[in-house]
Amino acid sequence: MKASILDGLGKGDIAMNNIHKMIIHELMEIEWKVESFILHDMKITHCLGCFECWMKTPGICRFDDAGRKIAKSFIQSDLVIFLTPVTFGGYSSELKKALDRIICLDLPFFKRYNGEVHHKMRYKKYPGFMVAGILPEADPESERIFKTLVERNALNFFPPAHVSGFIYRYQSQEEIQKTINTLLGVTETITSITN
Amino acid sequence: MRTKKQALLLVGSPGKENSTSASLGTFLIEKLQDHGFKTDVLFIYKSIRQDDSKRALLGKVRQADVVVIAFPLYVDSLPYLVVKSLEIIAKDRKEKIPKTEQSLLCIVNNGFPEASQNDTAIAICHRFAAETGFKWAGGLALGGGGAIGDKPLSGIKSRARNVIKSLEITANSLNSRVPLPQEAITLMARPIVPKWLYLLIATIGWKKTAKKFNTHKNLYDRPFLS
Ligand SMILES: Cc1cc2nc3c(=O)[nH]c(=O)nc-3n(C[C@H](O)[C@H](O)[C@H](O)COP(=O)(O)O)c2cc1C
Repeated sequence: MKASILDGLGKGDIAMNNIHKMIIHELMEIEWKVESFILHDMKITHCLGCFECWMKTPGICRFDDAGRKIAKSFIQSDLVIFLTPVTFGGYSSELKKALDRIICLDLPFFKRYNGEVHHKMRYKKYPGFMVAGILPEADPESERIFKTLVERNALNFFPPAHVSGFIYRYQSQEEIQKTINTLLGVTETITSITN
Repeated sequence: MRTKKQALLLVGSPGKENSTSASLGTFLIEKLQDHGFKTDVLFIYKSIRQDDSKRALLGKVRQADVVVIAFPLYVDSLPYLVVKSLEIIAKDRKEKIPKTEQSLLCIVNNGFPEASQNDTAIAICHRFAAETGFKWAGGLALGGGGAIGDKPLSGIKSRARNVIKSLEITANSLNSRVPLPQEAITLMARPIVPKWLYLLIATIGWKKTAKKFNTHKNLYDRPFLS
């Protein structure tokens, strides 16, 4: 089994660096392969909205950079983990830059789902999501928006299972570890669906 | 002493002067001009490129009485460019929030026909306003934005009549500093063409474009399987 981590924490967010390490450690314990992307360290061209990844080179963005590698790793994973400071209730720009580049994983064509229009799947199998939002402290309104966003993403990127949760900057290592372990419970669901 | 009220339009569609976001935003900003506002238009993709363009952006935001952000929905929220610009503006306002009242309004358009799919993006803009000391003036959502495309609204008056009416009401409310009337939101959210027709036109459009690229047999490719 394989997980990709899209780490959208800001440069210099050393306080939260350990979260990434904790997650890798836990995944190694259960013998998952991990591919990590520290997004602020990578040169990723932002999406130009040209739709060439649907029309000209179906399934691949015109830019051959880390954004393309991330899209590939995403679809080849069983679980994708997003780490991000909760930014006005949404994702950080670092994470968003990478996510805007994954629409090549869907088809341009439409299907209806629960009364809404969405895209059809390009691939047969998509990874599960685990999304961890970092906040200075509990913030019900931002958390509500963030959770809704994850649910909306789940409608468009077909994860077999998904989970989201929050880590607060004031929390102790033990508390953070507990949240991570709870969120990583999603690996069990994914493993049971896959087998 | 500044006499004229100032309005700033930030266009968040990436790399394109011609976009649905620009058409919608420009129309509103022209209406504000008619109300006597001094107006400015900035394209975010240019504004966040270099330090001096960032400084210019921040200068204009500090000066504005009304900031309008017009952008497309990307992956259920704001495009990277818009998130980045909001982060830059938020950082600036941490140091100093202008003393005068400043309003923020957003116009979001998306590809799927339902305007309601933009709700999360509007909630994010609202949250940004609350965290950075802007008065929230409201959010407008247009579904099936491709039906406007890069055409100026003045050139498609009949098709865009609800959109035009919505933006006129919005300009009035910004000018008189009253909350955005529900009517403006409802008119903007009204489908420009029926859902089935929009989907048909879009699907035919994709197929035509693919023919042009000679990729019509490859549209379902799965390049990352191997
Ligand atoms: C990277 C990317 C992500 C998109 N995500 C969504 C989406 O989640 N939901 C949706 O309805 N449309 C989505 N769209 C479609 C755009 O919102 C739509 O094409 C819009 O009309 C473009 O507006 P503009 O001309 O102002 O750029 C996406 C487009 C791109 C390029």
